[in-house]
Amino acid sequence: MTNKASILVVDDEPQIAEMISASLQLHGYAVSVVYDGEQAVKKIAAEKFDLVITDIQMPGMDGITALGEMKKIDPELEVIIATGHGTMSTAIQSMRKGAFDYLHKPFENKELLAVVGKALEKRKFNDITKAIFSTIKPEELLRVTIDSVTRILKAEESLLVLPDKGGRLKVAVSEGLEDEARLNSRLGLCDRMMGRLGGETKSVILVDEPARDKSFADLPGISEIKCALFLPLMEENKPSGLISINRTREGEYFTEDDLQRAKIFGSLVNLALRNSNLYRQLQDTQSQLIQAEKMSALGQLAGGLAHEINNPLSGILGLTQLVLENTKPDSQNFTDLKDIEKAVFRCKKIIVSLLSFARQEKTRMEPVNLNEVIEETLTLCARQMELKSVRITRQFAQGLPMVNGDYQQLMQVFLNLFTNARDAMPEGGELSVGTSLLKDPSGRELIMTTVSDTGTGIKPEILASVFDPFFTTKPVGKGTGLGLSVCLGIINRHNGTIKAYNRPDGGATFTLSLPV
Amino acid sequence: MGKRVLIIDDEDLVRNYVRRALASRGWEISETDNGAAALALLRQKDFDAVICDLKMPDMRGEEVIKRIRDLLPAMKIIAITGSVSNITTPIVPGVELEGFLIKPFGIDEIRNLMEKVLGR
Repeated sequence: MTNKASILVVDDEPQIAEMISASLQLHGYAVSVVYDGEQAVKKIAAEKFDLVITDIQMPGMDGITALGEMKKIDPELEVIIATGHGTMSTAIQSMRKGAFDYLHKPFENKELLAVVGKALEKRKFNDITKAIFSTIKPEELLRVTIDSVTRILKAEESLLVLPDKGGRLKVAVSEGLEDEARLNSRLGLCDRMMGRLGGETKSVILVDEPARDKSFADLPGISEIKCALFLPLMEENKPSGLISINRTREGEYFTEDDLQRAKIFGSLVNLALRNSNLYRQLQDTQSQLIQAEKMSALGQLAGGLAHEINNPLSGILGLTQLVLENTKPDSQNFTDLKDIEKAVFRCKKIIVSLLSFARQEKTRMEPVNLNEVIEETLTLCARQMELKSVRITRQFAQGLPMVNGDYQQLMQVFLNLFTNARDAMPEGGELSVGTSLLKDPSGRELIMTTVSDTGTGIKPEILASVFDPFFTTKPVGKGTGLGLSVCLGIINRHNGTIKAYNRPDGGATFTLSLPV
Repeated sequence: MGKRVLIIDDEDLVRNYVRRALASRGWEISETDNGAAALALLRQKDFDAVICDLKMPDMRGEEVIKRIRDLLPAMKIIAITGSVSNITTPIVPGVELEGFLIKPFGIDEIRNLMEKVLGR
C-alpha cells in the first residue's frame, strides 16, 4: 500500500499513549492519540481509521463500551485491546465484542508491532475480499483480481490467463508485464503449467526458479523469475485458467504464510468468478425475457392493427383498380394509379409478415430431421443463389437425433437466413451451412446450426438490434424489418436460441441452437 | 337473369368497391352494414349469394353466417376478413363456406371468386 495505515491510540495515561504512538510512528504509521472512550468514538465518527489500540480501564466510557460504539460506526474497523494483569475476563469479553486481539500490559515493542501488522493484514484482506465480491462485471473482476493478488503476495508481475473460444490460453489481464516478449514468455509458462496439471485439481502450485526445473527449462525468457506461484481457476471442478504470480527479486522466496494467503485468495477468486458467471447468465436471461415481452406486446398490437388497416387498404386497392379500368393505359394517371396499387401490395406484405410473426396460434411440434429441413430449404433457394453467384457449402453432421419442431416454421427460419445471406452478397460469395451436436453447460444435448456468408458483415453498432421488429438495413420497400424477428419468435417457441455474430474474416454468422 | 348478391360489411369503402366491381358483371347488388338488417333483407327477398365480413360491431360475422345458414341452407356464403393471414383453419366452425377472401383483395379476386361460385 502506498498510503500507510492510520491508527488511533486510546489510553488515559498520556505516557503510555505517547509511547505506543512514538513506536508506531517510527514504523511509518499515521497515529492519532485520544485519552478516553468518548473522545475515541467521536474521532472514529469524524475520521477514517484502519485500526484502534485501546486501553480498557479509563474514566468515563471504558474501552469495551467504546469498542462496541466504534464498531457500530465502522464495522470493519479493527480494534486491539490493551489490558493490565488480572483482567483476563475483560479481555475475553472484548474479543467477543469483535476485538481483533489483545495485548497484555506491559508489552514489548516487538509484540505491539506483530499484532498491529496482523490486524492490518486482516483489514487489507477484508478490503480485497470486499472489492472482489462487489465487482460483478467479469472484465472488472479480472482486473481487480490481478491488482489484489499482486499486492497481497508482494509480487513484481502477475497475469491471469483464460482459454478463448477455441480453447487456446490467452492473457486476460496482467500487471507489471508491459513488455510483449516478456508477457508472451509468461503465457508460455502458464500454457506448460496447464498441460502439466491436466485435469487435476490443486489450489496452489509453487515452482522455485522455473528455469532450473526440467519441466520448464526449455521455455525462453523465464530465467529472471525467481519464484513462481500458480492458482488454478476452476470451472466445473476442472482447471480452466490460471493466475500466475512471479517474484523476480533475488532471494525473495514465497513463505508458508504467502502460500496460505494465496490459497485463501484463490478460493475467493474462484467463488467470485462463479458469481460473476451466474450474473452474466442472469443478464442473458433477463434480456431474453425483455425480448419475449416486446414480442408478445407487438403480437397483440399487430393483431388489432392488421384488421384496422386491412379494411381501408382493401378499399384503396379496390377503388384504385376500379378507376384503373376506366383510365387510358398510356396516361400519367394510369402510371400513378399503378404506383398506388403497388404501394398497397407492399403494405399487404408487411402486414402479412407482421401477423405471421405475431401469430398466436400453436406451433405444431413433431420429430423433425433438421438436416432434411435445411436441405429442402436450400433446394428452394438454389436457383436464386445461382443467379447471384452464391456458392453453397454444406457441413452437416451425420446421424443427428431428431429435434421437436414445426417443419414449416423451421423452413421459414432458414429461408429468411438464406435470403438475408444472399442479399448481403450482391457480388456473389459463399453461403455455408453446418450442423453439429453439442452439449450445453448443464449437459443437455442440442443441435447447433450455423449459417455464414462472406458478405459485408453486420456493423457492430447494430448487431444488438438485428432481431428487433421493423429493424432493417435494406432500402425502403425491399425489406419489412420483420424477417429476423419472425425467426426469433419461431426459435423462441422451439425453446431454442438464435444469435448473430460477425466473422473475424468478414461476413456474418447466425447460430441457431435447438434442444434435442 | 342477373344474379343477386348481398354484401354485409360495416366498412363503406369495401362495400362501395365490391358492389361496383360486381355490378359491372350485370348482377344485382344489395348492401347493408349490419347483421340484423341483413337477416331481415334475406327474409324479404331472394338472393343467390352473400358476402359477409367477419368482424362487425353489432353481431359477429360468424354469428350472422350461422343464422343465414340456418335460415337458408342452400345460400352461397362468402366470408371476407382483415384479421387473419392464412386460410388453414375453417373460418366459421360447423359451417361450410363457398368462398373466403382476405382483405385487402382486388376487384379481380372478388369477381373471379364470385364467378366460380355463381357461374358466369
